[in-house]
Amino acid sequence: MLFSELNFWAFFAIVGGLYVILPHKAQNRMLLVASYVFYAAWDWRFLSLIMLSTVVDYILGLRMAKETVEQRRKLFLYISLALNLGMLGIFKYLGFFVESFEALLASVGFATDPLVLSIVLPVGISFYTFQTLSYTFDIYRRDLEPAEDFFDFALFVAFFPQLVAGPIERAKNLLPNIALPRVLTWKNFERGAVLCLLGLLKKIVIADGIAPSVDAIYASPDPSRLDIIFATWLFAIQIYCDFSGYTDIARGVAKMLGFGLMRNFAQPYFASDPQEFWRRWHISLSTWLRDYLYISLGGNRGGSFKTYRNLIATMVLGGLWHGAAWNFVLWGSFQGGLLAVHRAIAGRQKAGAEGVARGLKGMAVRVLSIAAFFQVVCYGWLLFRATSFDQIANFTGRIIGTVSAPAVVSVPTPPLAAFLCLGLLFVWDLMTEKSNEVHFYERWPTPVRTAMYASMFYLLAFGSTTATSTFIYFQF
Amino acid sequence: MHKSVSVIGLTIVWILVLDVLVAGVLPLAERTGKAGSLIQYFEYGRSVPGKLDVWEDNPGVPGNLYDVAWTDELLERSAERFAGEDTANGPVVRSYGMSFVNRIMRQAEKIDPELNWDSHSGPGAPPNFTYAVFESDQPNRRQGDVAVLGILSSAVPSMAAMSNSTWAFEQPAPYTYPIFRLQGEGLQRIDPLVTNAEQFRQLRADPAARREWYAQLREQDFFYGPQAFGMSWLDVSPFARLVRRSVATTTLQQAKNKVIEKETYPYNDVLIRMVREFSRTAKADGQRPVVFLIQSRNPRDVDLLTLLKPTLDAEEADYLATAEFVDPSDPAAFLPDGHYKAERDQQFAEQFLAIIN
Repeated sequence: MLFSELNFWAFFAIVGGLYVILPHKAQNRMLLVASYVFYAAWDWRFLSLIMLSTVVDYILGLRMAKETVEQRRKLFLYISLALNLGMLGIFKYLGFFVESFEALLASVGFATDPLVLSIVLPVGISFYTFQTLSYTFDIYRRDLEPAEDFFDFALFVAFFPQLVAGPIERAKNLLPNIALPRVLTWKNFERGAVLCLLGLLKKIVIADGIAPSVDAIYASPDPSRLDIIFATWLFAIQIYCDFSGYTDIARGVAKMLGFGLMRNFAQPYFASDPQEFWRRWHISLSTWLRDYLYISLGGNRGGSFKTYRNLIATMVLGGLWHGAAWNFVLWGSFQGGLLAVHRAIAGRQKAGAEGVARGLKGMAVRVLSIAAFFQVVCYGWLLFRATSFDQIANFTGRIIGTVSAPAVVSVPTPPLAAFLCLGLLFVWDLMTEKSNEVHFYERWPTPVRTAMYASMFYLLAFGSTTATSTFIYFQF
Repeated sequence: MHKSVSVIGLTIVWILVLDVLVAGVLPLAERTGKAGSLIQYFEYGRSVPGKLDVWEDNPGVPGNLYDVAWTDELLERSAERFAGEDTANGPVVRSYGMSFVNRIMRQAEKIDPELNWDSHSGPGAPPNFTYAVFESDQPNRRQGDVAVLGILSSAVPSMAAMSNSTWAFEQPAPYTYPIFRLQGEGLQRIDPLVTNAEQFRQLRADPAARREWYAQLREQDFFYGPQAFGMSWLDVSPFARLVRRSVATTTLQQAKNKVIEKETYPYNDVLIRMVREFSRTAKADGQRPVVFLIQSRNPRDVDLLTLLKPTLDAEEADYLATAEFVDPSDPAAFLPDGHYKAERDQQFAEQFLAIIN
């Protein structure tokens, strides 16, 4: 059941209809059932993993909060880590490590019988695992009181709008929103509906519209330099629109139900350096990694070398979070390396001054920095999108000219609607950036605002003729 | 409450205003000959009966496929040509295919101007069309002729259809073909009720015959559905056309996926039997069977060579598989319209001539 499919909206209409007539507690129970139904539509067997994680972390959370002996509290934390990371390890990484180990043995002359593990990756496991882990970490750090109501906690783990691809919510934010009665307001409904509309435009019209062009070049045995550059630019747009489109719809649906999910993207391609980029891209993951991994590793306490090491280690693990493949490790290393280099060059002084452009010269410098850094980000996306190390080496060689490539450009042209919508998105992000206000359009008179909504509906219909595909981040 | 009503109401009013504006601008743009592709974009979303009515009323419009590839007419022309052929000119290559096959054959004619070629083709024709025409055209082939059966990978799912009008939503050529089902060790052929353009024209004035035809499609064709055929009155609204196009293409893609997943139609077994019967029939008639396996650009297409090579080898039938010469994942091999570039077709043609000489 994809957000971009009509059956999801039929499902949501039923959920919404029941929601408005039920009292608060019954709303929560109904949402829990709906969330399980939503997940079971993919594969009901993996519901057992969510339920297991829910039961164990609920009990451990309560025990940990009551426990005064530090060693016992630590033991409860380790049990939670073992369960959650164990599930993630088995379902997401076991096959990868076994294959890599076999390849390593083979490379030094030890042939082994190949062990083929056909393990299916449960949708969204990386997202809900990190979400429940943040819950136990926060209780362990005494930053959070455990949930009293088991079913409320179960809803926190499985809340359907963000269950399969985030945002990775923190219990401090979502649990009170579940536990306390929510007020349904027209303002929230309108904001939620606009987010959904924007998300659908990003996903259906832009991401799905340009996906075939990207796929064609990344499947091509002999692309030209310009093909690779254009296709990688397009992939940068595709992955942003695909993932932020999903997040927008998730936040929009939640908003209409009275929930406030965290913002996951803040115009990431307006970043001019790696630090700024990670404050704008996949915010729920980057803050998770910062709070629970980077800081746990020591953060920036302990000198420059240890800071760089911690940055790179955090980003390598962040890369591996995306998938069990070496290109994600390489992508994570690339991002960690960028952050370390940036930190070494720019230091801390620049923080706080970023984004400030004074005068025409300042603005020009900022625009050029953004354009230049976008190319760096795009090279990272090449590592991310490539299907093998060979392809990375080949494509890199073609870009820098060490591998011969044809001169022709053969990227299939994306549909007109994708370009129109991209123009709208650029203006939208620019206005959000300039006004520093995500609801900038609320200041507009109703006739103007509604004309924009109507245009967005029309554009959605205009561009929704391409084949829809699953969201890229579902595989993580 | 007042605010919500005004926002929702005004949004609907704006959509209507936009719709009326677009509906007004489109004919204007059409008359001035501007924005042709944009007009086409909106036209694609008409219901299938709506598009067919436009085609019938405007025979000269570009892209009109109303009168193409009707089986009765193809066979009639084939019989006329057969009767007029001078057997002294040598054997004839009789192809049963689609534009991909025709393009290869045209290249073959350029290389070998002596080549005698008789084409039977339909736009985007699925294997049930090419195989059915091959079967029906049996009286119009001689001993020593070469019979070419074209199989296009992107059209394989459409073996579960009886007409392009049910699955090719944007270009619904109404020509028809039988559907084949497994029966014992062979195939059962279910012929369509409508087999020529004249019969099809009469459906417009004969509601009972039209109902009967639609009933056959509903019963036999896995792609026929209301999303493409129902509520033609909505065609007046460009917005509704866009929505229909979206819904119809999604539904049809789902129907294709179900065929590929073998949930609804055993395309693989049917295709294997078609190739087997094609080879055996041609050989029994003293003709040379050659199967063209044309792998089009979509990576999700059925891999024809993997599916059919064991059968072709077992039957000792000649074949030309485009995937053996060109990687179908290479976008540089294709034109923007999805056909192979001329140099690739030339390469295939050379291979074909090497097979038959």
